[in-house]
Amino acid sequence: MSVIKEYMSADHRACDESFASMENAVHDENWSEAKKLFESFASDLLYHFDMEEKVMFPAFEARSGSAHCNPTPVMLMEHEQMKKLVQDMRADIDSKNKEHFFGLSETLMMTMQQHNMKEEQMMYPMVDDVMQAENSMLLDEMKNLQRVDS
Amino acid sequence: MFKGLSTDQAPPIGVPFRFFLTAPIFAIFIATIFILYPQEVIFNRYTPIAIATVHLFTLGVLAMIIFGALQQMLPVLAGAVIKKEKLFATIVHINLTFGTLALSSGFLGSSTFLLIIGSTMLSLAFGVFFFTIIRLLFKVKYITSTVNAMKIFSLAGLITAGVGLYLLSSYITYDIGSNHIDIANIHISFALFGFAFILVMGVAFQVIPMFYVGQDFPKYIQNKFPRVVFGMLILFAIFTILGQDATPILNIVEILAIVFATYGLYILENRRRAVFDVTLWYWKLSLASLILSMILLLVDSKISTIAFVVAFGFLYSLLQGMMYKIVPFLSWFHLNSKGHFNIPNLREYIDAYNIKLQFIIYLSSIFCFILATIFNQMFLYMGSGLFIVSNILLMINLATATKTYHEISKLDPMAAFK
Repeated sequence: MSVIKEYMSADHRACDESFASMENAVHDENWSEAKKLFESFASDLLYHFDMEEKVMFPAFEARSGSAHCNPTPVMLMEHEQMKKLVQDMRADIDSKNKEHFFGLSETLMMTMQQHNMKEEQMMYPMVDDVMQAENSMLLDEMKNLQRVDS
Repeated sequence: MFKGLSTDQAPPIGVPFRFFLTAPIFAIFIATIFILYPQEVIFNRYTPIAIATVHLFTLGVLAMIIFGALQQMLPVLAGAVIKKEKLFATIVHINLTFGTLALSSGFLGSSTFLLIIGSTMLSLAFGVFFFTIIRLLFKVKYITSTVNAMKIFSLAGLITAGVGLYLLSSYITYDIGSNHIDIANIHISFALFGFAFILVMGVAFQVIPMFYVGQDFPKYIQNKFPRVVFGMLILFAIFTILGQDATPILNIVEILAIVFATYGLYILENRRRAVFDVTLWYWKLSLASLILSMILLLVDSKISTIAFVVAFGFLYSLLQGMMYKIVPFLSWFHLNSKGHFNIPNLREYIDAYNIKLQFIIYLSSIFCFILATIFNQMFLYMGSGLFIVSNILLMINLATATKTYHEISKLDPMAAFK
C-alpha cells in the first residue's frame, strides 16, 4: 500500500493548481485577487512542509535509523530555499513588481518541481516502505496537524 | 540501506555544462559542410559526406546534450547517483567529442585510420555511459514510468551503438555486404525511435505536466508506449534480417508518435499556467515537427526533407528548450546551495529577448533547409548562415548564464553578513 505517496503526490498537484491560479492573477494584474490567492498558496505550501517536517520526517527517521544516507536533510534544505522564495514573492506582490515576481515564481516552480520529483520517486515510497501497515496511521496524524498561519 | 538522496547528489555544475557548450560547435560544423559540399552529395543518404553530417548531429549534438542532461537528471528522476561523476563526465565527454570528430573526418576524408580511432573512442564513450546508467537504473527500487522509459532508452541506445559499430567495421575492412542497407535501416530505426523518441517520451511524461501545470499523459501512453515502441523495433529488426517487408511495423510506431505528440500539444495548449515562457515555443515546435515528420514518413516523402524536420525541428529544438530551462536553474540552485543569498532569479541569467531572437533565427533556418530540399542550393546557403548565427547566439546565451554563475561563486557567501 502506498497511501503516503498517493496522498502527498495529490497534495503536490493541489499546490501546483493553487500556484497557477495565483500566477494567473498576477499575470492579469488583478493585485487584490493575487494577494488573496498568494496567501492561500503560501498557506497550502507551508502546511504541506509542516506535515512532512513535524510528523513524517521524524517518524521516518525514528523507524529507519539510517542516519548516514538519510534523505531528509536535503528535503529540509530545499524547504528552506522555497520558504525564502515565498517571502521574496510576497514583497513583490506588495510592491506590484510583476516582472521581478515572475522571475521568482519561475525559480520557485523549478525548485518545487524537482523537489516533488525526488519526494514522489524516492522519499514517499521509502516512507511507505518503512512504515509498512502503520503508514495509514501516520497519514492520519499528518492530516490532523493543526494549520499554522504563515 | 537507502541510497539516492544525499547532500552531494547533484553533480558539479561543470559536468552538464561542458556537454551543453560543446553541442552548438558541432552544429556549426554541420552548417559548414552544407556550405562547402554540393547539395546532391549532402542529400543522398548513401554518400560518406551525408553519413559524416548525420553523425555530427546524432553524436555531436544529440547524444552530447542528452548525455550531459542525463547526468544531472538521473539523481532527480531516478535517485540514481553516478560515482566519481567528474571522472565519468571527462571520459565520456572527451571520447564522445574526439570520437565524433574522428568518425566524421574519417568519412569526409576516406581515412580508415580515422574511422578506427573514431570507432574506438565512440565505443568507449557509449560503453562507459550506457553500462553505468543501465547498472544504476536496474538497481532502482521504486519504479516509475520514467525509470522504465529510461531503461528501454538505454537498451535501445546500446543496440544502436552496437549495430553502428558493426556497420563501421564493414567500412573499415572494405567488406560491405549485400545486407548493409538493411542493417543500416535497423541502426537508423533504433536511433530515431529507440534512442531519441523513447527518451523524449520519458522526459515529457514528467516535465510537461509538472513545469507547465498541465494534465498527466494518459496512463496507457505512459506505461505502454515505450514498451510497445521497443517491441516493434525488435520485430522490425527480425523481419528485416529475415528479408521480409517491415515497413508496416514502422508505420505503427510512426502513428504512436503522432498520438503522443498530439497529446503533448493538447496538454500544453490547456496548461494551467498562463504566464508566457519562451521554452514553450521550443516544445511546441518540437512536437509539431514530430507530427509533421511522421506524416511525411507515412506518405513516403523525400528523405532529406524528413531528415531536416526530425533533426532540427523535432530533436534539436526540444534540446535547446531543455537547456534554457536547466542552465539557469542549475546556476541558481548551486549558488543558493553554496549559501549565496543575493543571487539573480531564473529569468535574470539569460535575457528572454535574446532567447526569442535565437528561436526566430533558428526557426527561419529550418524553413530555409526544408525549402532547399524542394528548390535549390541557394536556400541551403541561407539556411546554413542562419543556422550558424542561431548556434552562436545559443552559445552566447548559455555562456552568459555560466559566466554569471562563475562570477558570483567566486565571491564569499558570508560577505553580505560582515
